[in-house]
Amino acid sequence: MLWLTFILIGLATTLPRASFIVLGSRVSLPPVVQRALRYAPAAALAAIVAPDVLVVAGDFTPLNPKLAGIIAAVAAALLWRNPWLPFVAGMAVLLGLRALAGG
Amino acid sequence: MFDSSFRLGAREGFLSFLPLSIGLIPWAMVTGMAMISTGLTPLQAMGMNVIVFAGTAQLGTLPLIAAGAPVWLMVVTALALNLRFVIFSAAIAEGFRGVGAPMRWYCGHLLTDGVFANCMEKMLKVDDTRWRLGYFLAPSLWSWLLWQVFALVGVLAAGSIPKNWSLEFMASIALLVLLVPMAKQRPMLVAAAVGGVTAVVLRGMPLRLGLIVGIVAGICAGFAAEHWHGRKEAS
Repeated sequence: MLWLTFILIGLATTLPRASFIVLGSRVSLPPVVQRALRYAPAAALAAIVAPDVLVVAGDFTPLNPKLAGIIAAVAAALLWRNPWLPFVAGMAVLLGLRALAGG
Repeated sequence: MFDSSFRLGAREGFLSFLPLSIGLIPWAMVTGMAMISTGLTPLQAMGMNVIVFAGTAQLGTLPLIAAGAPVWLMVVTALALNLRFVIFSAAIAEGFRGVGAPMRWYCGHLLTDGVFANCMEKMLKVDDTRWRLGYFLAPSLWSWLLWQVFALVGVLAAGSIPKNWSLEFMASIALLVLLVPMAKQRPMLVAAAVGGVTAVVLRGMPLRLGLIVGIVAGICAGFAAEHWHGRKEAS
């Protein structure tokens, strides 16, 4: 079942990637659709991450170590180009706050 | 197959992409670790890595796999995360003029954000089909190799790290780091904010449907913001 899931997710990746490369110049998307689709990744990323960092045990909890970690990671991504720093900063803040809370 | 113009193109494509490709290494490692902390075995993790070959779609569907969400929801989520490739694919399609259908499928499978950004301009300009193919394939295969090798490093490293270190949090960080450059445009920020808030508000919906509603609401909000923004600038 898990492997079937991987194959389906793989198809859901390869088909969009190959779509127009395979079709060539025979078909093209209406410009309105192209413009609307540009927002899909940003909306999807936020919709996946937000509940993970703002909801603790089913309740909306804006102040929690995960959100602090995310803020640190975003700050690192905005301030420096180093691709490792957001991970270091985010994990350090999350684990540091948990240690302080005695968790 | 590997005539001199193919090799010249491959050389140029590889060298131009090499510095950028280093950014793939932490991504691949984090994805490897995230797959293990989701509960996949190393074999399943590497199987997913080879079959899907897409960091965003892998990281984005892992929380759903962990939550036991239905398969169709994972597919819809992966499609939403991959819709940008439809646009990339349409933009770079002209660069494959003269290339046969099986090779087009293979190149499509290998298309990534980095290679697209790096190669699109010359793919459209250069006349020589062989040169273009080399120019696209060399950095693409290099990305593929880096992705597999460093995901494996992440998979192997994850086992030796204690569970209470919450390594799966790295997946959340990784997804957000992808979002940061997008959100520098105002309508993108609106799309992300509406998508995120909707998903939080509707978190109680069955089958994680709040996620789909969030994505659709985000797309509509971004599109609306773009219109509003454009009109304001025009006046």
